[in-house]
Amino acid sequence: MENNRQISAQQLMQKVSEAAFYVTDLKLYLDTHPDDARALRMFGEASRNAKACFDAFEKRYYPLFATSADCDSDWEWLVGTWPSQKMA
Amino acid sequence: MFIFTKMTQIPVKINNKNPRLASYILSQYGGPDGELGASLRYLSQRFAQTEKSGIALLTDIGTEELGHLEMIGSIVTQLTKGEGAKSFDRYGVGDYYIDHANGVYPASASGVPFSAAYLQSKADPIADIMEDMAAEQKARATYDNILRMCDDPDVTNIIRYLREREVVHFQRFGELLDMLQSKIK
Repeated sequence: MENNRQISAQQLMQKVSEAAFYVTDLKLYLDTHPDDARALRMFGEASRNAKACFDAFEKRYYPLFATSADCDSDWEWLVGTWPSQKMA
Repeated sequence: MFIFTKMTQIPVKINNKNPRLASYILSQYGGPDGELGASLRYLSQRFAQTEKSGIALLTDIGTEELGHLEMIGSIVTQLTKGEGAKSFDRYGVGDYYIDHANGVYPASASGVPFSAAYLQSKADPIADIMEDMAAEQKARATYDNILRMCDDPDVTNIIRYLREREVVHFQRFGELLDMLQSKIK
């Protein structure tokens, strides 16, 4: 069970990173093509999709942003795989 | 300001250990054409940019390079995790172990500590962007050199990805240069 959960955390992280990357790449393009109507539409969609992916991951696994960390009883920000660590 | 996100641009998951390869890749952490120099160069130069596009592009690429710095540090960490003095020595990098053990230290592959002399900031948007385009090509060439030394597919995939980003950044800087030059004309 733990193993299955970890595998899908990795799969979901793959989706999160793809969605976030799409936003990053479009952002650079728009910096030098600020009037490109098609790219503007693509950015809107990419941005909404990335937010949905972040939310889905954080709901299921652990906070990616400190502002999402649960602080009701303990400090949830410590939970999860940090960049230097290998996702199990 | 900057907000940390607990993830890397693509996941870093290296299964094998190789302290020698780690010492080569460390050059993109603190070497002459590495990610630390790149991020400091762009994040410093942006203060003198005159056009919004220039401020935005240098901020955004500088930020992405900081993320790449973190990815390089993560590769180095995973390639050396749990390796001891004898392993570093067998891999021919005992000298690195003596100074830093398993720590990630900003230095080049040949052991020269990071220096701000690797970058410039001239308050001249054209001069700065020209430097940035050259810097992207030098970073790309360094990634090519790493790929010639690397036979670990976990590492190769990430290095190819980072190499490709340098090509994209070069393209965007070129577009910015055209924009700045057409404003002058």
